This record gives sequence, C-alpha cells and structure tokens, in this order.
Amino acid sequence: MKPAPFEYHSPATVAEALALLREHGDDAKPLAGGQSLVPMLALRLTRFAHLVDLNGVGALAGVELQPERLHIGSTTRQRVLERDATVAAAVPLLARAAPHIGHFQIRNRGTVGGSLAHADPASELPAVAVALDAELVVGERTVAARDFFTGTWTTTLADDELLTAAVFPVWSGDVRAAVHEVARRNGDFALAGAAIQVSVDDGRVARAAIALFGLDSTPVRALDAEAALVAGESLAAVAALAVRDVEPNDDIHATGAQRRRIGAAVVERALQEVCGG
Amino acid sequence: MSTPVAGRFVGQSVLRREDPRLLTGRGTYVDDITVAGLVHAAFVRSHVAAGRITHLDIAAARALDGVVAVITAADLNAGAGSLQPTIQLHDPSNAPLRALADGDVRFVGEPVAVVIARSRAIAEDGCDLVALDIDPSAAVVDPEAALAPGAPLVHRERDSNLAQEMPVLLPQYDEAKARAAHVVRATFRQHRQTPSPMETRGIVAIANPASGELHCHLSTQNPHEARLVLARATGTPEHLVRVTARDVGGGFGQKFMLQRDEIVIALAAKHLGRAVKWIEDRRENLIASTHARTDVTTVELALDADGHMLGAFVDELEDAGAFPVGAAGGAASAVGAFFPGAYRIPALSWIARAAWTNTCPRGAYRGPWMMETVCREQMVDVAARAIGLDPLELRRRNVIATTELPYTTPMGMTYEAITPAETLEQAAAAIGHDAFRTEQQRAFVAEGRLLGVGYSLYVEPCAMGSMDPLGTESATVRVQPSGTVLVSLGSGSHGQGLETTMAQVVAEELGIDVDQVVVVQGDTDVAPYGRGTGGSGSAIIGANACRAASAVVRDRTCEIAAHLMEAAPGDLEVVDGEVRVKGTPTRSVAWTEVARVAYHDTARLAAGARRGLEATESYTAPPVTFANACHAVTVEVDARTGITTILRYVVSEDCGRMINPMIVDGQIAGGVAQGIGGALYEHVVYDGDGNPLTTTFMDYLLPTASEIPAIEIHHIETPANNPGGHKGVGEGGAIGSPAAVFNAVADALALVGAEVRDQPLGPRQILAALTAAGH
Amino acid sequence: MADHDVALTVNGEPRRGRAEARTTLADFLRDELGLTGTHLACEHGVCGSCTVLFDGDAVRACLLFAVQAAGHEVVTIEGIAPAPGGPDRGALDPGAPDRGALGPVQQAFMECHGLQCGFCTPGFVVSVSAFLDECSDPTDAQILDGLSGNLCRCTGYQGIVAAVRRAVELRSGALPAAEPSESRP
Repeated sequence: MKPAPFEYHSPATVAEALALLREHGDDAKPLAGGQSLVPMLALRLTRFAHLVDLNGVGALAGVELQPERLHIGSTTRQRVLERDATVAAAVPLLARAAPHIGHFQIRNRGTVGGSLAHADPASELPAVAVALDAELVVGERTVAARDFFTGTWTTTLADDELLTAAVFPVWSGDVRAAVHEVARRNGDFALAGAAIQVSVDDGRVARAAIALFGLDSTPVRALDAEAALVAGESLAAVAALAVRDVEPNDDIHATGAQRRRIGAAVVERALQEVCGG
Repeated sequence: MSTPVAGRFVGQSVLRREDPRLLTGRGTYVDDITVAGLVHAAFVRSHVAAGRITHLDIAAARALDGVVAVITAADLNAGAGSLQPTIQLHDPSNAPLRALADGDVRFVGEPVAVVIARSRAIAEDGCDLVALDIDPSAAVVDPEAALAPGAPLVHRERDSNLAQEMPVLLPQYDEAKARAAHVVRATFRQHRQTPSPMETRGIVAIANPASGELHCHLSTQNPHEARLVLARATGTPEHLVRVTARDVGGGFGQKFMLQRDEIVIALAAKHLGRAVKWIEDRRENLIASTHARTDVTTVELALDADGHMLGAFVDELEDAGAFPVGAAGGAASAVGAFFPGAYRIPALSWIARAAWTNTCPRGAYRGPWMMETVCREQMVDVAARAIGLDPLELRRRNVIATTELPYTTPMGMTYEAITPAETLEQAAAAIGHDAFRTEQQRAFVAEGRLLGVGYSLYVEPCAMGSMDPLGTESATVRVQPSGTVLVSLGSGSHGQGLETTMAQVVAEELGIDVDQVVVVQGDTDVAPYGRGTGGSGSAIIGANACRAASAVVRDRTCEIAAHLMEAAPGDLEVVDGEVRVKGTPTRSVAWTEVARVAYHDTARLAAGARRGLEATESYTAPPVTFANACHAVTVEVDARTGITTILRYVVSEDCGRMINPMIVDGQIAGGVAQGIGGALYEHVVYDGDGNPLTTTFMDYLLPTASEIPAIEIHHIETPANNPGGHKGVGEGGAIGSPAAVFNAVADALALVGAEVRDQPLGPRQILAALTAAGH
Repeated sequence: MADHDVALTVNGEPRRGRAEARTTLADFLRDELGLTGTHLACEHGVCGSCTVLFDGDAVRACLLFAVQAAGHEVVTIEGIAPAPGGPDRGALDPGAPDRGALGPVQQAFMECHGLQCGFCTPGFVVSVSAFLDECSDPTDAQILDGLSGNLCRCTGYQGIVAAVRRAVELRSGALPAAEPSESRP
C-alpha cells in the first residue's frame, strides 16, 4: 500500500504555493495535515503528479483574536483548538468540536484548513463553520461557509486556489456549546452529529446556531430549529425540526431513515447539554 | 473438586521474557528481515468475483524501470506441486486450488500475477501497468444461494457448489421430538468476519539455486507445517527447506495453515533464484487472506413441559468461500457434533454442509466451530422466552452437574473434569442476576431504558489428540555445559508467551530457576517436528511434551549425581538448582556441576554412561480435552440511536491447572474482545456481485479500548486428565462472548417486544428491529 | 523522480538518508535508518502501530512523508526509554537494552501484561508516553479515549488500560511492583 510517485514541492510563501498550483493545475494538490489525503494516496484511490506542501508556509499557521472575530490560519493544527484557551473562550463550539475529530494523534497533525477544504460531510469542523457563519478566506476573496460546501468532498475552491484562513465570529454574553455525535466507534466519522452554540440571556436562549453533520452531502444549518429554540419551543420539537429536511444516504452502517432518527437524538442531547442547568 | 497448589513457577504470573525486546522495538517480525539482493513482490488481484480472463498483458509492467519480473500462471502453475496443507492432502472435497488464477477468476482478490521489483512501491506501480480484462459472469455470494438449483458454479471442475455434506440423523431425536411439550425452531445467521492480526501475512523467500536450499522467513503459527507445504509445492526436498519465524504479530488461526499467496512467493523466488519479500498490505488482508464465521444454522430444540431438553436437531451450513483453507465443512460438522455443549441433551441429529461461494477463502479463526455455541446459546434464550422461563433458569434446569460426571454426549464424547454448573452459578452471582432483573424492570418502567443480561455457557473441545499431525508436540530439552537449559519446540508462538510459560514448566520439572531456561521455537532447523501453535493446544500438548523431556533429563541428572555422591538415583531430588538426597539436604551437588561433569569431566561419569545431557520427547494428547466457561454480560441499548453499551462483563472459566494466570487472563480477555468486536462492530460486507465493501480499517471496525469494557475473570481450576492437568484456553474467550452479547441485547429488546437476528448488532440491525416492533 | 536528501534528528541523534517523495516517514525509518520498531499494520492511518513523536507530538508515521520530516525531531520506540545515563528520552544506547532500560510506560506494560504479540505495542508505548506527558493523572474515561487511536487485537485492552494506570504511578515515583506480580488489576 504505497502511493504512486509524485513530485514534492515545499513553498515558503502563499504566493509560491499559488504559483505552483497555477502551474500544475489539476495535477497538483495542496498537502496540509495529510490525515485524509495521504491514506487516499496510499490506497491509490487518488493520485497527483505534484504535491504542494503547505506546512512550510509559516504565514498560514496560527490563531489570532481580532475584534469580535477569531482568525485561524489554515494550517493551524486541530490540536490547537482543544489546547488553546483563547479558542475556548472566543469560540466555545470549536473547542467542543475538536476532541471529536479522529484521535489525538490525528489532531496533532491534521489542520483546520485541511478539514474544511476536504469537506467530508461527516466531519465536525465544516459543521462548526456553517453553524457559526464563519468566513473562509480564499486568497483575495472571502466565502461564507454556507456557500463553500457544495457536496461530498467538494467545495467552491478552484484547483489553483488555497484556503488560507477561517474567521469565526466571537459571541458575547453567556455562550454555551455542545457537540454530540453517534459513531460506530470512538473517533470514527459520525453517523449523525450536531454542533450547537447558544447564548443565554436571563435563562433564555437568546441566540442559537445549530448545524448537523453526517446527515447530508454537506453540513446542514438548521435555521428553523434555531428560530424555534429561541422561540422557546420544546427541545424535542426543535430536534425534530432540525432533521426534518435532511436527506441522509444509506450505507453499511445505517439507512438514511435511521440516520435521521439518530440525528434527532443527537440534536436533542446537545440541546439538553447547552440548555440544561 | 481439588484446586491445584501453585508450584514454584507453574501457577505463577511470571512476567514475560518476550516483553523487553517487544517493548523497545527490538522484536524481529518478518518485515524486519532484509538480505542482500532482496526484491519485493506485489500481487495483481482479480477485481471481479467470477469471470473469464480475456486479456492479460504484462509488457508495460515488465518494461517499468525497477521491475525485475512479472510472473503469471503460465510461469508457475504447471511446475507447482500440491498447495494443500498436510491434513488436507487426500481430501476429495478440496477445491481445485491453483497457484495463480488461470483462465478464470473465482473471487475478488484472487491472485492473478505477481510483480517483482526493486521496491514494494515500484512493484505496485508495475501492478497498475498490468492490463487485465475479465469478462464477468454471475457470482454466488451467499451459501444458501450457492446451493439453490441452477446456481452458477464456483468451480467448473465440480458438479455443484456443495463442498461437503455430512448428515447424522438419528431416530432418538425423532422420538424425543414426538414426546416433547415444546419444539422451538429458529435460524441463526452469523455474519462474516476476519481475524485481522495486527501483523499481516508475510514472507521473505530466499532461494539459493546453487545449494538448492529454500529458506523462508514467515509470519506463521506453524513453521513445520509450512516447511512441508513449501517442500511439496516447490518440489524441494524437505531437508533443504528451512522455515523461521521469530516474532509473529498475531494469527488467531489465519496463519496456522500456509496459504496460497506465500506459496506463490516461494515459487517465484525459486523461479527467479533469488530472495523475494512479500508483506501483505491491510487491504489484501481484508479481502484476500481468510474470512471466517459466516454460518447459517437452523436449530430445533425439543423440551418437556418443565423445560428439560429432550433433543436437538441442527442444520448447519458454512460458507467455505472459493478456496477454503483447511477442510471445507470442517467447522460445520463440529457445530453439529459439539452442539450439546454443557447441557443434558440426550438425543441429537444434525446435518452439516459447506458451500463454495465466489468470496474470500474461509479459514480458521479462534474457535473455528464456535457457531455451535453461538446458535445453541441463542437458542436457549429463544426457547426460554417461548416457554416463559428466565434464560438463566432454563440453563440451570439443563446444565450438566459435576455429580453426573463422567457424562457421555449423544455423539459419544465423555466429559470427565468439567464444571459448567459451577461456572454458571459463579457468573450469575458475579453479575448479580436477581438484583439486575430488579434494576432492569425499574429502569424500563421508570425511565424507558432498555437494559439486558445475557449468558453464554459452553464446553470447549481443546487439543484434539486424535488429529494427526495436530495432536502431538515434541520438545528437546538440552542442558548446556554451563547448566543453562535450551528448550526447542516446534510451536509458533504469536502472542501466547510460550517462551515464558514453557520455561516455567521446564524449570518446575527440573527444579532449577526459570531464568536458567531459554525456549527456542519458530525454526525448523532447530526445533524437533511439531504441531505449531493453535487449537488451544499449547498448554496441553506443548507443556506436557516439555514435561516429558524434562523428566528424562531430570532422571539422567539424578543418575549422574547419584554416581558422584554414591547415592541411589531414586533417593535424589532437584531443588533450587541443587541435586540432593531427599531428607538430607546437606548431601548435594550443584545442578551446574552435574552439567559440567556431563560434558567436560566425563571420566567421573559411571562406566558406559552417555556424555551430555539432553532429551527429546513427544506427547500426544487424549482425543479431546474439554475446558468450560460461562460468560455473563449486561448491556444497555439506546433505543434512539441503536447503540449498545456493555455495562459489565463477567467470565467464569475452568481451564484446568494454569501455568501462568496472568497469561491465562490475557488470552481470555483478548478472545472476549474479539467476540465483542464480532458481535457489535466487525462485519465483512460484500455487495450482491461479490465486491467487498469493507476493504480498509476505516470500514472493518476492530474495537478500540473505548468499546471494550472491563472484563472480570473468575477461575475454577479442575485438573484435566493429563500430566500437567491443563486444559486449553486460547480460543474460549472468542467462543463464548458473541452469544452472551447477542443474548443480552435480545433480552433488552424483548422489553419492547423487538427481536433481532441479523448480526452484527450495530445501529442498522437494532433500529430495524425496534422499528419493526413499532418503536 | 529524484530522491530527496533528508536530514533530521532521530532519537536525539542527527541522521540522514535518501527518500523518494512518496516514501513515508515510517518506511524511511524502517528501511533507510534501520529502525524497525516502528511497525506498519494498516498504512492508512487507522491502527496507530507506526506512531512516533514528531517534534514532541504523537503522530502516525504512515501519514507523513519522509521529506516532510527534514529538519524535524523524531522519537521512535527505540528512543522512548530514558537513556541509562539520564532522564532524557532522546539519547539512546544503541545496544539491545536489558530489562533495566525500560522506561516507565514500558515497565508498566510488562508488569500488567499490556502486550501479547507485540506488533501494535510500539505504537501504544509511544502514544501512551505522549498522552501521559500531557495528562499526567488521567481519569478512566480519559485513558480509554487516549488509547482509542491505537488498535490492539490480542489483549482486549485490559492489560493496556491497567498499564496506563500503572505508568501513572511509576512516573510519579511509586516503587516498582514485585516480580512476579500476582496482584494485577
């Protein structure tokens, strides 16, 4: 199980990386943490003549708290999200989501940008980005997370573009977050998952963000459910609303209908966590 | 029942001497072997389950820089001898096995060609350049479909897909059924699983065209058997074939019989006259090594009005895959014959069949016939619910009591030293059965939670002494001039810790310190012919062979010492490295002095005494040695998600006299985890055309630490009828656990009237059952 | 395609070798540097057998290319034990270690029967070492989660979980257990 041959490039700047991507077109692939790409290369499920390693582009890594937003460079390791107190304070949902990503050995190498650009519909960070209306920085342009993900493993990113950062809004007030998911084993991709952040004012949910993962070809924002939650409807009703329109696929682990059922359960449990006590 | 007293070493949890090298990365597994001029192999495998090869062009691969050779059936098949294991050499039910696929293919993963190159990566590049076109034909993927009229033939050389059929239909069962108050019938389908040792298969085959020698480093459980197969297959005289295996990264049955892929590499090495390495990758291991389980069993159980079992009928069908490794139907007939297990079932009829399908070969996997326990123990619960008894109570009414021993089953097998009733009660007490039932009701009524308890009670046949060549082991115990002891065994330890446990046995028998004993195995040039490691046989067969050889050495030691001390040999004993006169410990001679005299001061030996100090002895086990155990487990099923959580797991077992309790517990725990994995997570899935869908560790779900609960193990030590009093323990954990988990989940689901029969018990199966029951 | 010259620090020593771009760090360690303690059981990032420390963090060596390791520090199972001379896990006596050369995690695995066939073991030892570096007094739940990135097929994890608890004691300076040990968790 060895990858097909490729040429390795290690640019030092974003400009160099983009130049390489432009030069080689769809023969080239950016390599970030490699935790999804390298297995696919090893299994020869995919191959590229050129890999452009972003790990040497220093400007892409790092977390910066800016006014009312948290700027996360795309090669920031996922492990930073669970270790960094700034992240936990500014965007609690990121800190709650991070431990669900694979295992700690994966998170030590896997990157925030890599996970977003890979766009696995069952992964956590795309759902967090969609829930919180993150802005994804692609060179000169900025894409709203809800417009970024177009399908399973597909985004609006062109072959010669790089995702350089993700910018998450910082909520004020009493902010609570929860991520619940059901996977076959600890660390597996979710059969169904829910990422929820709320702010609570005077014992009531004043603001809510709910996104689902593993339940459709992209992360799903549950706007109606958010409104119902803020309107004070029962958690079970909110959960039912959240999964009303999703269209999960069948696979060897569960049918689509079963995933929707599991989805309602994880939404309700995440709601209980953020709303209880 | 007597509990054996632990010896100085036997019965002690001696820490493993294998561990320091394995813990520091200094083990030597087959992939760690490298030799000058080594080249690397990769297989081109069929991507189609059944079909005709219409085009095979190796030119582009052959032309690739770094490729040494591309080998196809045309190069190898005609010159190959038998590829079958020794025990299968003359079995008329063998599938028509060939080295490389020739003309057609019969399962996805079947090897079609071998690319040999400077590196494995280049060999894989070469595989990508081999043009292989296959005209697909209809495949049979399911054993029942394989036996349906008009089913496509897996092997065109055969008349049907029925690989084996053995009916044992006795009138006693029909009589029992006629007078039964209850006749309960159910069909159980065990899903396909695969052993998945962490180290895949692998071989470094070194052919020396000048000397004619063929030296193969192998990941194997059974070096001597591998040598025999390689000698036959490659046409090399047995004495010129050497098989070595230092550290082996797990086997679980998969590496007991040498398989086709390794044989092909040895053939290729000989063809090329050089050294070739093949290390199976995980995808190959998951699709093309061996699969297991995959049984369809219908059981009919006849009971009287009080729930006493009167008789049983078992119709077992095993999926043999395309080219089963070992006997087709070998497991199936054991499922029938061993079905009664721990219960008084006076009448038994059974039919065992095996069907070829266009799937990966079936092979041994830790308790190959464990379907007897899976179907029987589920049947007990099904019957208990049908007649309104607690499954524990139904077991209590039918379990064989110690007072009934010796007890002979309807198949003529006699239990002498088993304790199923004791293990059942010990497990039930440990799990807290009555209190759990109370809590189960409370949690259901008050909170709607689904808790369940399940049992699995079994009697395990171990170390089949009657199955040549599997029933005999030889040991050479060689005292060296320094007094240290070298023990050579034909075993192939792959995690069992035999370097430690066999040293414990030898040290105990010789009366010396365990650190003075070294065990060497896994080398056919060093070890006497032996049976390998498998079939829960090492403690019974290997340890007693060590004991027998040690006894001869000890007696000779005493003879030499007696001559030195002018005492009678019969008055001497060896204690703590001193040969001394019983009752007069001051009259003694050191063990090391006896060794020195035996080799280097031979003038002091008695006239005519042989110099040196060693012995080779063998031990053949009784036809069957029975171990027994009871597993009890409690679970909670999450009705909203279909996820099962194991709350507690208890094993009560009797493996006779334990050599090393720490290792016994490790064997049980490992087996239990494999059974839990099988029950809840692991599933090899094929689509209807025979394409495997679970080809990586992302899809074939081995349980992690998070999925395996704490396993509480309780022992009852009833000595078996062999010199050491041992029974087998390697397979039991994996035999007992699946049914216990199934029964616990079924018990939980029964609270809401749901029934689940499909396995594994993942969310798909459990939610389907709940939905069908209106939940 | 041209090989790359890869210079890096392995187990505290400067090492260099040649690697194709596609050569993983695991293959490079094994084949080029002869450090065969790093095992490959899946080569697609699931099993954890190939775990090494990369600049101090546990990572899958099958998911990194050797060229990416140039200039970085790698610690393998061969370097995880403290050197006889001091507590630094970096420097390694190249000779085969005796029992005394086991680090606390390795010692705990031995005492608690945390290994059988030993193939997954190097990955567990490296992972557990890194885990305990960060979480020196873990709860049971943290232990199970911390172990879940490594697959073992032999032990049923019982001995491994016990070994982590024991390693916590050994690392905090508790006395070694008597041998042979009858008192297993």
